[in-house]
Amino acid sequence: MASLLRKVELFYDVLSPYSWLCFEVLCRYQKIWKINLHLRPTYIAGIMKSSGNKPPALLPLKGKYMLMDLEYLREFYQVPIQVPKDFFSVILEKGSITAMRFLTAINMENPEMLEKASRELWMRVWSRNEDITEPQSILAAAKKAGLSEEQAKGLLEKCSTDKVKNSLKETTDVAFNYGAFGLPTVVVHVDNKSHMLFGSDRMELLAHLLGEQWMGPVPSTVTSKL
Amino acid sequence: MLNLPRKLELFYDVLSPYSCLGFEVTLLSCSQEIKGGWDCPSDGSEVLCRYQNIWNISLKLCPTFLVGIIKDSGNLRPVLVPQKQKYLRDELQHLAEFYQVPLVIPRDLRGVIIDEGSLNAMRFLSSVELEKPEMLEKVSRELWVRIWSQDEDITEPQSIQTAAEKAGLSEEQAKGLLEKCSTEEVKKKLRENTDTAFRYGAFGLPTIVYHLHDKSHMLFGSDRMELLAHLLGELETLCLTVVKTFLVSQPCLPARITTEEEIRGSRYS
Repeated sequence: MASLLRKVELFYDVLSPYSWLCFEVLCRYQKIWKINLHLRPTYIAGIMKSSGNKPPALLPLKGKYMLMDLEYLREFYQVPIQVPKDFFSVILEKGSITAMRFLTAINMENPEMLEKASRELWMRVWSRNEDITEPQSILAAAKKAGLSEEQAKGLLEKCSTDKVKNSLKETTDVAFNYGAFGLPTVVVHVDNKSHMLFGSDRMELLAHLLGEQWMGPVPSTVTSKL
Repeated sequence: MLNLPRKLELFYDVLSPYSCLGFEVTLLSCSQEIKGGWDCPSDGSEVLCRYQNIWNISLKLCPTFLVGIIKDSGNLRPVLVPQKQKYLRDELQHLAEFYQVPLVIPRDLRGVIIDEGSLNAMRFLSSVELEKPEMLEKVSRELWVRIWSQDEDITEPQSIQTAAEKAGLSEEQAKGLLEKCSTEEVKKKLRENTDTAFRYGAFGLPTIVYHLHDKSHMLFGSDRMELLAHLLGELETLCLTVVKTFLVSQPCLPARITTEEEIRGSRYS
């Protein structure tokens, strides 16, 4: 049975709101489509640097557009995105290195918690306008995801090890080598080929490549709510 | 003419392949009665009857100068970022197949987009918009098919003339419109459309603006059709591919439309 499942890799960073949209859609569809979803915590600033791309928020008109776009998409995707008040500071100054190292550590030690922990970090920064850079912030998210205080502290300590730092660098390099210039980047492996898709707005095309049915960002067979 | 409460403006440049996708998909979804302006096309009722109105919405095609938008907004051309250029090449192949639009990447992609540009072509479309708006859809299509399906020039007068005649304009009409390209009136028209798009917040094309009563909403990209349909309450009638639309309105047409002849023929005949 497992051989019928197609591998779909999602390279994402919690700093990216579009990554959150893509993440939620794929989490919904992993119960519907015959896929094996692999979550890959990735460092968006690293992708930007390697590719020579620039964060869209740097261009005033794009930043303004994003605010509008995310409002529409919040409702359409049923993901509770609220743009942080200091949007530019959050994205351009505060960043996500600690958060993504933390998720990398989870992926190595407690991969079954990766989905929930990722979601809780997104909820902090992209729904409740809360910090994700301080150790206390990350611990709070981890506990909310279901990790014990001890587990969470242990994982946080591992963030400063070379093992975790290198693992995040490697995943970021893998995404770049697939051709990524931003996140979310989805790589679908089907019929002995891999195809890279960029953006949360390529899910219908993904369905098409998989030969699966697209039922919109909130398929009716999935009833759980965020 | 019909006074539909919902209006769409599509700002596009034939130089942008995503504009071509947005152009074709939007046209499929909107009322056939109002295209390329606000008047009924002179093709006659046969064409009108051939397609069902899918969305009850007025569509205005607005030829826009992409380079002008990029410059005004300070944006960067995607093709100038190497990973983006590579992605564009790969993705367009998937999208061409998915949307059943015959897109083929030109051999010299960077040359076509950056060096050659589209000023003459877009001025010509502005000329068509002013003088023969009912022909705007067909002429736009012939121009984008030249670059994005046949890897042919659109910068030389002869190239534009050929596209215009293929769209159904006579040699005389096409020549007349070409001459008008160098007039202030036409240059001003293209600048106005470009400025309007920019004022709506455009930083690239295609840009769609939809108006409902007193409000306008701007959407960027050919990948916002589903969201647009949702905002219009038209998700059930969204037709993303030529195949779907033609199965709805013309069951006797071939099931798959893949060549430019077929896409042209299916809309003109």
